[in-house]
Amino acid sequence: FQKTPEIYSVELSGTKDVKKTDKGDGKQKYRGLKNKCSNFRKNDQIEEIKEELDLDDHKLSSEELEKRYGTNIITGLSSARAAELLARMGPMPSTLPRRPRDCQDVMCLTFPWRDLVLGSGSLLSLTPLLITQVYLGAVLALVVILTGIFAYYQEAKSTNIMASFSKMIPQQALVIRDAEKKTIPSEQLVVGDIVEIKGGDQIPADIRLLSSQGCKVDNSSLTGESEPQSRSCDFTHDNPLETKNIGFYSTTCLEGTATGMVINTGDRTIIGQIASLASGVGNEKTPIAIEIEHFVHIVAGVAVSIGIIFFIIAVSMKYPVLYSIIFLIGIIVANVPEGLLATVTVTLSLTAKRMAKKNCLVKNLEAVETLGSTSIICSDKTGTLTQNRMTVAHLWFDNQIFMADTSEDHSNQIFDQSSETWASLAKIITLCNRAEFKPGQESIPIMKKTVVGDASETALLKFSEVILGDVMEVRKRNRKVAEIPFNSTNKFQLSIHETDDPNDKRFLMVMKGAPERILEKCSTIMINGQEQPLDQSTAKAFHTAYMELGGLGERVLGFCHLYLPADEFPETYSFDIDTMNFPTSSLCFVGLLSMIDPPRSTVPDAVTKCRSAGIKVIMVTGDHPITAKAIARSVGIISANSETVEDIAKRLNIAVEQVNEWDAKAAVVTGMELKDMSQEQLDELLANHSEIVFARTSPQQKLIIVEGCQRLGAVVAVTGDGVNDSPALKKADIGIAMGIAGSDAAKNAADMVLLDDNFASIVTGVEEGRLIFDNLKKTIAYTLTKNIAELCPFLIYIIVGLPLPIGTITILFIDLGTDIIPSIALAYEKAESDIMNRKPRHKKKDRLVNKPLALYSYLHVGLMQSLGAFVVYFTVYSQEGFRPSTLIGLRLEWEKHSVNDLEDSYGQEWTRYQRQYLEWTGYTAFFIAIMVQQIADLIIRKTRRNSIFQQGLFRNKVIWVGIASQIIIALILSYGLGSITALNFTMLRAQYWFVAVPYAILIWVYDEVRKFFIRLYPGGWWDKNMYY
Amino acid sequence: MRRQHRSRRAPTFPHGYRYRLDDQDEANQNYLADEEEEAEEEARVMGVPNLEEKEKEEEQNEEEEGQGQPTGNTWWQKLQLMNEYLWDPEQRMSLARTGQSWSLILVIYFFFYASLAAVITVCMYTLFLTISTYMPTFTERVKPPGVMIRPFAHSLNFNFNVSEPDTWQHYVISLNGFLQGYNDSLQEEMNVDCPPGQYFIQDGNEDEDKKACQFKRSFLKNCSGLEDPTFGYSTGQPCILLKMNRIVGFRPELGDPVKVSCKVQRGDENDIRSINYYPESASFDLRYYPYYGKLTHVNYTSPLVAMHFTDVVKNQVVPVQCQLKGKGIINDVINDHFVGRVIFTLNIET
Repeated sequence: FQKTPEIYSVELSGTKDVKKTDKGDGKQKYRGLKNKCSNFRKNDQIEEIKEELDLDDHKLSSEELEKRYGTNIITGLSSARAAELLARMGPMPSTLPRRPRDCQDVMCLTFPWRDLVLGSGSLLSLTPLLITQVYLGAVLALVVILTGIFAYYQEAKSTNIMASFSKMIPQQALVIRDAEKKTIPSEQLVVGDIVEIKGGDQIPADIRLLSSQGCKVDNSSLTGESEPQSRSCDFTHDNPLETKNIGFYSTTCLEGTATGMVINTGDRTIIGQIASLASGVGNEKTPIAIEIEHFVHIVAGVAVSIGIIFFIIAVSMKYPVLYSIIFLIGIIVANVPEGLLATVTVTLSLTAKRMAKKNCLVKNLEAVETLGSTSIICSDKTGTLTQNRMTVAHLWFDNQIFMADTSEDHSNQIFDQSSETWASLAKIITLCNRAEFKPGQESIPIMKKTVVGDASETALLKFSEVILGDVMEVRKRNRKVAEIPFNSTNKFQLSIHETDDPNDKRFLMVMKGAPERILEKCSTIMINGQEQPLDQSTAKAFHTAYMELGGLGERVLGFCHLYLPADEFPETYSFDIDTMNFPTSSLCFVGLLSMIDPPRSTVPDAVTKCRSAGIKVIMVTGDHPITAKAIARSVGIISANSETVEDIAKRLNIAVEQVNEWDAKAAVVTGMELKDMSQEQLDELLANHSEIVFARTSPQQKLIIVEGCQRLGAVVAVTGDGVNDSPALKKADIGIAMGIAGSDAAKNAADMVLLDDNFASIVTGVEEGRLIFDNLKKTIAYTLTKNIAELCPFLIYIIVGLPLPIGTITILFIDLGTDIIPSIALAYEKAESDIMNRKPRHKKKDRLVNKPLALYSYLHVGLMQSLGAFVVYFTVYSQEGFRPSTLIGLRLEWEKHSVNDLEDSYGQEWTRYQRQYLEWTGYTAFFIAIMVQQIADLIIRKTRRNSIFQQGLFRNKVIWVGIASQIIIALILSYGLGSITALNFTMLRAQYWFVAVPYAILIWVYDEVRKFFIRLYPGGWWDKNMYY
Repeated sequence: MRRQHRSRRAPTFPHGYRYRLDDQDEANQNYLADEEEEAEEEARVMGVPNLEEKEKEEEQNEEEEGQGQPTGNTWWQKLQLMNEYLWDPEQRMSLARTGQSWSLILVIYFFFYASLAAVITVCMYTLFLTISTYMPTFTERVKPPGVMIRPFAHSLNFNFNVSEPDTWQHYVISLNGFLQGYNDSLQEEMNVDCPPGQYFIQDGNEDEDKKACQFKRSFLKNCSGLEDPTFGYSTGQPCILLKMNRIVGFRPELGDPVKVSCKVQRGDENDIRSINYYPESASFDLRYYPYYGKLTHVNYTSPLVAMHFTDVVKNQVVPVQCQLKGKGIINDVINDHFVGRVIFTLNIET
């Protein structure tokens, strides 16, 4: 019921449109794109994404481009032409499509109720004959409107939080038109415009670069990877997304400047297409929505069937048909739990609030529970499982591998720092590094400081800062005289320094780079501070260490140095880096250092928790399989004792093909392998391996994986950060976007935002989600129970002809008055047992409202409640003069306005108004009786299996607030508003408040007995039939 | 046609998002010289997904869907499922329970409800032990007394035409019927003649039978129907009887019996020129109080006051309000028009 109607309405014509426009020129095609995307059915989605892009502008020369777009690279478009184009194409929408989030959304949630409540309510108002129900229809309508507004308010509040996240898309663009530079609002850009961008700008449209000076862009809004990428005007790749001469809308230019020609604007940009595609992926109903619908069906079923049964009874009792119909409607109305919508909404938003505190910001309230029923989590690696920063993990020197501390604060470096070799290595690490801390961060802890420089250099800088102290000071003392920065052909970085030893006039040359390249340049190796010749055995030791570190998925760097002889290189020597007038061979190898993006320290625990909670964690990463596997192992996604096919092959020393696939519990699948798999193979893979890592996957394959998991019937949670993740986020049962690294589009598509990007937060979310499901069960059981106590009086009234025991308005005061706060209070109930130790709920079997729940609520507790309430009712009437024997069949005479001397059991005569007043006293008494018994009901609903005394009667304080509220509201209604006749409440004698207490206790005792037998015979007949 | 266009466009995108790894690595200054990786990358570029096949499958699916099953089919299936749920012949189950399971559940429910019924019965029984059958526990809801008139035929509007007996005959019948219990012979036989002007208090146990004071029909003189069997309706001078609602234990103020007085409720006071009250005191004698309840005070007959409207304006609706007057009597409750007063209209046509 979350589907927008447009998706289906123009299906056929949509496809035809595409066919036609496809023959037209390239630009035209994009017009239909958005329309088309949303028109295709879900199962076409994968293909859709893959077929999305057809762009060849990057292949053309500037001249061809000029011709195609009718522009001039130097002077730009003329204003007139721009205006014409703008008029024809329409302005570029300034924002990405947002998730439709308005009344419509709320109405979706309220819909089943609206249907039930309003439907019956309006029927009622059509038949104003029913007792006091003349204005009941209006009251019900008001109830619906109020709960609707309330639900909307709750939704709007969480939307507001989201709104604070959405950043502004670039407002201004520097454009060349009529040979003049102009600043115009970016939505007025048209295809063919020549724009200039510089560092810090967001790119205002898809542009083909025409010239570039050191331009680097951050494509994280598109891919989620924040590594800077260089941009030039050269055509480097067939694929427009890989070529370097195209800049994408909404990505950021980090440094340098560039000039480019606009080739696509607005929704026709790559990012616009993906985003609109995401909005086209149909939203599945959330599990909780399905459950609530199921619940509404049950309630409606019960209501309608009881209604019809009593309609037949009423007709056969010779009631006029009109009256029978009114009875029918009355019964249906009495069955509607009017207050439940508000309760569920509040309960969900309370949990959402609680989750927000734990860094899970829930956008869609229903998603709160979805997380709880999650059975598979497809998680990103970078940033989610890992800390998203390179960190030194291992060192190799003196023929030994040392481990460095990779925890979040680096505080505990335990490796041996006494060796002379370490001193040399430390010097190289410190000096051969161009990264620097940004100034003005003295008070910030080292690990949190911002650094100018790339990831590896940053890691090294921080590493040395932690161990050695002030790096900048060291560098100052060892003045740099020359430097060769890293480039991809050299694969090394070199710098030459003066030493800080005033007696030593030699220059120190330090170098780092790819280990084998560094080793090639070395002739000696430093062992325990002594230079030794590099022979076969040391080279072998190097290779072993290198392979081992590489096998851990770590990025390995080699370090070497050379003290330049003072005679050859005097202090005044001028180094020329172009001619390389210094030796770059026969250096002294010092050591290796390996870096990894280490897992977050909380993640392994969280993964273990997931496993014990029956949730499969699948890692989906774009990273290299070895790295992925290493991280998977270290966080426990691949557990210590399980092997992949490759591991088995290695252990048994046989070929991979010979290994029986089913022996391996774990699997590492690359994107390439995934591509060759058929749907069945993927399903098999997902079903048969409990530990799966997908490496080298593209975000599009994420969608395939998600769909595969969903085919298995799993509820899938997916994390993602880039725009291109948004279809998968949308497709998943619960999409989780990253709050820090995530792009706006991802956040828009997601149901939840992780504020700290931490996987462990998902697990807390799961826990909350499961708890809320349990607690909603309790809430619903609590709410349903009194329905019988509200319905029975009406049935008895029809059949036995008693004066009406409880009026409709009084019922509303229970449903929307006394019962609201207690049912919300159940949301604060703590879990009965460790909810993270059981399997995720089965979508089809573990329903929110199941048969035992309905039966136990309706036929056990509900019935006991009605009996208790009837005892109070009879007590009141008997003590006033009408004994039950008199009451039976009295209804007709009782309600006649003309009968003003109706005789009671004692021969007294009552006027109509006196009877009416007595009837209201009866309502009040019945109301109080239900209220008193609902207190017992509330207490028993605290647990479903454990005894109340195991759970602790006073642990949930909110329950007691709820009970107090019930009593206070009842007191106010009876004694405060008892004189307002319209409300049908009277001042009740104090003793009637206590008549129902024994029945309340009876309910409590009965429920304790029920729970006792459930605990005594787990899995037995009683457990199966009585545990809800 | 459609497939063609699709496959033409197919290969462009899949490469799309794999680029980032290469670029990223380079941007990271690829120290990791991993030859394996490079080889793999090349292989990846080679791999184009077999979209064609997938599409074929999907198109077939679409075609099947396109042919479409009549919507009634699903309904039929649902009905069958429902039917199977109601009675599954294979496993001999009804509503997903076997016969054995059903009997077990029915037995359990039987015992549950039986014991519940027992508990409730015991509770109700003890409740009624505490409530006297002779005297109501509370009487404040039924006080102060209400008032009702006779004849009463569903309406308090007396419309009749003197010359057409059909229009007033039913009043006469009603009054006659009502006064049967007041027949002098019956009263003399059943009830005692107790001294007027004082309460007729009968001490003794609750459950002792109480005697009742006589209220003879003849007390009503011209309105007794004994002399004028049409109660004055035939002459346009209708009799209307007024009685006060019985309340157990109710005693009017001593020495000040409750009086009845009628007047035009709204309009010209001269519309009613004269009313005769019977008994002439227009009051309820104290000897009829207190009332001891229907169980012991079996023959109690409510005292009456008859109003004889001897001179009322004819051919016009005259609203009449009769009120009780006396200490402890309330006759102006807004919501209740029958407490201490009664309002009716007379419309006598000639």
